[in-house]
Amino acid sequence: MVEAKNMCMKYEKGGRYALEGLNFFIDRGEFAFFVGSSGAGKSTLLKLIIREIKPTDGTLKIFGRDVARLPRHRLPYLRRNIGMVFQDFRLMEERSAFDNVAFAMIVTGASRKDIRKRVPHVLGLVGLQDKAKTRVCDLSGGEQQRVGLARAIANRPAMIIADEPTGNLDPGTTLDIMNLLRSINLRGTTVLIATHNREIVDRFKKRVLYLDGGKLVGDEQKGIYTHVH
Amino acid sequence: MFISGFFYIIAETIKGIYRNRWMCITSTGVVIVTLLMLGVFMLVNLNIRHITDAVKEQVEIVVYIDEQADQETRDQLGLRLSTHSAVKEALYVSSEEHLARLQRQLGGMLEGYDTNLDNPLLASYEVRTVVPESVVALAEEFETYPGVSAVFYGQGYVENLFAVTGVLQLVGLALMAGLSITAVFLISHTIKLTVMMRKREISIMKYVGATNWFIRWPFVLEGLLMGFVGAVLPLAGLYYLYQFSVEWVTVNNLVFLTLLPTQLVIIELAKYLVPLGTGLGMLGSIFSMGRFLKV
Repeated sequence: MVEAKNMCMKYEKGGRYALEGLNFFIDRGEFAFFVGSSGAGKSTLLKLIIREIKPTDGTLKIFGRDVARLPRHRLPYLRRNIGMVFQDFRLMEERSAFDNVAFAMIVTGASRKDIRKRVPHVLGLVGLQDKAKTRVCDLSGGEQQRVGLARAIANRPAMIIADEPTGNLDPGTTLDIMNLLRSINLRGTTVLIATHNREIVDRFKKRVLYLDGGKLVGDEQKGIYTHVH
Repeated sequence: MFISGFFYIIAETIKGIYRNRWMCITSTGVVIVTLLMLGVFMLVNLNIRHITDAVKEQVEIVVYIDEQADQETRDQLGLRLSTHSAVKEALYVSSEEHLARLQRQLGGMLEGYDTNLDNPLLASYEVRTVVPESVVALAEEFETYPGVSAVFYGQGYVENLFAVTGVLQLVGLALMAGLSITAVFLISHTIKLTVMMRKREISIMKYVGATNWFIRWPFVLEGLLMGFVGAVLPLAGLYYLYQFSVEWVTVNNLVFLTLLPTQLVIIELAKYLVPLGTGLGMLGSIFSMGRFLKV
């Protein structure tokens, strides 16, 4: 599903590597954490997966395709297969929870009938069935992240990537969001999370890939943050 | 897909305008003010051109016929002048007609002259040219024709008239080009600001897999609408302003100010301002979005 072979990334020519010589393979249906301190390269790696940037060296294959060779006009179709969850939620704040989730479906060309059926369903999955008409800016941080999750799964993507999804949330809400991600994973969706939340990583005991200074320094199944470190 | 996307784009355009109504009103206001300025100047410029053209239309060459010339030479001269490609009209004026005109101009002062015996005036051809500016060159050419006694076209005055009207038109064109460039700059930057205010929204659309055109369309339609309203409102204002000016000129009997008819002028203005407004609104949106779409 995600395969990196000697993948390197430099933001500037002659500058230092943001990522260097990465080799890993993440299979369909896996749940994995990318951990490391700030500047370790976690966010860069996620940007590479959604082809916001291209690797400067080596290869990165997503769903079996080399993303560097993917023409720009095919990018939307790659992204429709990847649900994204962000630390700052990245929702359209003036719109309702329903509109935010529906938007992800509208861009794929889903019919109105499908949207009317699917959006309440996914909002129900994240426990927001009663807040469909509420504007996002009137929701709490935890609720906003739930909307983000609902939007991410609306198109039944093969993979969810989350960049510090609990970074702005209190511990209780963090656990709720992580449990939601786990239940999404149990339905067969690959989940990749970039985080430096030690507690969460240790609690979930999933695959952990540790990045340090742009290098992959550890890769452990059922790992805990402290061990890999 | 098409229908759902089409309705979405229309709905999004309307919602986008409503959500960002203050920014849209500000942008449209900038378009209105800019195009109003340009429109006022175009009105002035069109009328200056009209007046100078009318003045130039009155320029003519008077070709005096040699008294000694026989009838055949006179006929040949008339034929050569009237069939010349640069001549619009060559009107024969007999010496008697010249005297009659003079008598009309001077009133009773020439009473007693016998038009057949005492008439000192020469018969002539009054020539109007296709291009008024060609009178000097043509006058020189006509002087060489057989049967011509003298050629007059207001030497000295005509050259000055053409120089002045030429400068007026050149200044008008330069100012209009300058104002048009200012309009392009102002409008495109205002649209850019409108788009920049919504860059977060655009990046979210990119992340959920929207194609560039799917994102662009509502913005393009918004830009088009802003540009259209920004062009039509000044046009309506200019219509009433110009109509008032025309009536004022008529009421005050300013006969030397022959203004163009209102309808004609407004159509001329609309041909320029509407495509400029809508085009800039549309293109401004498309180009301003380029940077934000590279996510």
